[in-house]
Amino acid sequence: MSRLAMIGLDCAAPQLVFERWRDDLPNLRSLMDDGVYGKLRSTIPPITVPAWTSMMTSQDPGQLGFYGFRNRASYDYKDLFFANAKYVKAKTVWNYLSRQRLNSLVFGVPQTYPPKPLKGVMVSSFLTPSKEVQWTHPREAASEVDQAAGGDYMIDVKDFRTDDKDWLLDQIHEMTRRRFSAFRHFVRKKEFDFMAMVEMGIDRMHHGFWRYFDEEHRLYEPGHKYEHAIRDYYKLVDEEIGLLLDDLPRDTSVMVTSDHGARRMDGAICVNEWLIREGLLTLKETPTEPTRLTPDMVNWSKTKAWGEGGYYSRIFLNVEGREPKGKIPSADYDAFRDELKAKIEAIPDEKGNPIGTTVYKPEDIYRVVNGIAPDLIVFFGDLAWRSAGSVGTGAVHIFENDTGPDDANHDWDGIFIWDHPAKVDVKKKDPYSIYDIAPTILRFFNVDIPEHMIGEPLF
Amino acid sequence: MSSQKGFTLWFTGLSGSGKTTIARAVEEILLERGLNVEVLDGDVIRTNLCKGLGFSKEDRDENIKRIGFVCNLLSRNGVVAIASAISPYRDIRDYNREMIGRFVEVYAKCPLDVLEERDVKGLYKKARAGEIKGFTGVDDPYEEPLKPEVLVETDKEDLEESVQKVIRTLELMGYIPGADASEEYSAEEEEKIKQRLRDLGYI
Repeated sequence: MSRLAMIGLDCAAPQLVFERWRDDLPNLRSLMDDGVYGKLRSTIPPITVPAWTSMMTSQDPGQLGFYGFRNRASYDYKDLFFANAKYVKAKTVWNYLSRQRLNSLVFGVPQTYPPKPLKGVMVSSFLTPSKEVQWTHPREAASEVDQAAGGDYMIDVKDFRTDDKDWLLDQIHEMTRRRFSAFRHFVRKKEFDFMAMVEMGIDRMHHGFWRYFDEEHRLYEPGHKYEHAIRDYYKLVDEEIGLLLDDLPRDTSVMVTSDHGARRMDGAICVNEWLIREGLLTLKETPTEPTRLTPDMVNWSKTKAWGEGGYYSRIFLNVEGREPKGKIPSADYDAFRDELKAKIEAIPDEKGNPIGTTVYKPEDIYRVVNGIAPDLIVFFGDLAWRSAGSVGTGAVHIFENDTGPDDANHDWDGIFIWDHPAKVDVKKKDPYSIYDIAPTILRFFNVDIPEHMIGEPLF
Repeated sequence: MSSQKGFTLWFTGLSGSGKTTIARAVEEILLERGLNVEVLDGDVIRTNLCKGLGFSKEDRDENIKRIGFVCNLLSRNGVVAIASAISPYRDIRDYNREMIGRFVEVYAKCPLDVLEERDVKGLYKKARAGEIKGFTGVDDPYEEPLKPEVLVETDKEDLEESVQKVIRTLELMGYIPGADASEEYSAEEEEKIKQRLRDLGYI
């Protein structure tokens, strides 16, 4: 049986890989020319958590029971949990492969901290708090990973929302070199049937440097010294992929995926400022400068809704009998939610122009809704605008991220490239679905595809 | 890289009591946790390792000894050996226990009348009709384990409950790592995770 190597590039954008820089990326281009490729439609929402886990389990966020990094653990206002591996109850492809005695190498796939046992080696993902805790399985693999990375494997850059761009650029390049170097070391052992790694660097580059190359970005400056930073980074990744391809056994099937794409960020809608103006959110005191909204700031007895910031907005309703100080009678819940949905969809840009916001109810988009989902899931400007959760901004529209510099927002489609040495007849889809990846991997290894997987194998 | 220590998980019980079904489900869980596992199923072993052995007391004992011998080889080389065999006689099971050392006995208990009603393979019917002689539980003895590490009562429990009893026992005995072990982290770690998320601008 041949092997499968999966190279995950968090946030890699189809318009950049398939079009704009295709000729600058000889190794990715070669995989595209020899195999199949296309856009890969992400989860709703298209964010790292839950997208990678959905890709590896073929379960939607509702089934998984988490809707982002932060999730409500109860209907209390403060009770949140952070969706790491502890909360992933669905089986991943490597669980099924382990059952079949197949060896997996899993490097940096999001939501793998704390690392769980498998047949093979796992290096946990960017949400690992530090390398002082167990960050590999087996534990003793850690020193080998460090050694193979040149002494110090970097789980992630420390902070990518920074104005110190020289430092950031250096850190991201270094992180990527070290990760690929360590991954290649394990690949060369030829012990693994399934080899998967996720590189976070592209995501960090997009958020940190998008304004410098995108002529349509509000802050674009022609000829800036970082104008080619993202392109050069993609080239670095391509070079590293080239080195990896050289180390892979000849019969290895190579898949490249990203969990979502990227686009320029036009601005941010201060969702809680807007809710305050609509009379739906009441604070005890209005801050005079931008301040992250926390539950203790809210006058709950006069509040009907509040929202969270991020690449998308989660709107929560304060419902009688559900939240501790619920305000909306439960009988009015549906009507209120419909009305609020329509109002949010109508929020214009700062000049009064429509922006095409999309708002979803969880039960309409997920097969089941496990855990506590937001009451409404909002994509301002269909992802051209992000959501700012801060209050005290003095405006509904702002043009910088309230949590630090950020030029880019996520986009619906990531990338899918698959070069299979046996040249199987891969189904054509536009776009492919993120849910198709896990069943395709299982089919590749002749493992029965569980009925609960919602995607379909691509061959 | 694996530092796995082997052991033997020995399923005993009457024909049709669910030994192999539980053993296979346990095998899947252990494999998922990255352990090296081999199942030695009594029916399969009889057609290979123990071909030619009959059902006399001597042959039955020899059959169980041979399975025990292989389990011992596997266990001492770091493999989890799972045996699923009626193994009706206590002294031979205890012989294997002594030889292997790291030995966990699982008794799949189910009343005879329930098994005869189930009779999935039609063997009890044949035994009652005299077509099969020396059938354990009908006209041949079954000696219940006196102190099995795990008792699964398959007429009262569903498969999942029985499997979890076995897995939990193995965890408590320290033979396999706890499923929750990797999920436990301190409040200090939780705070570090939050700080990471803040640094990344996610919260």
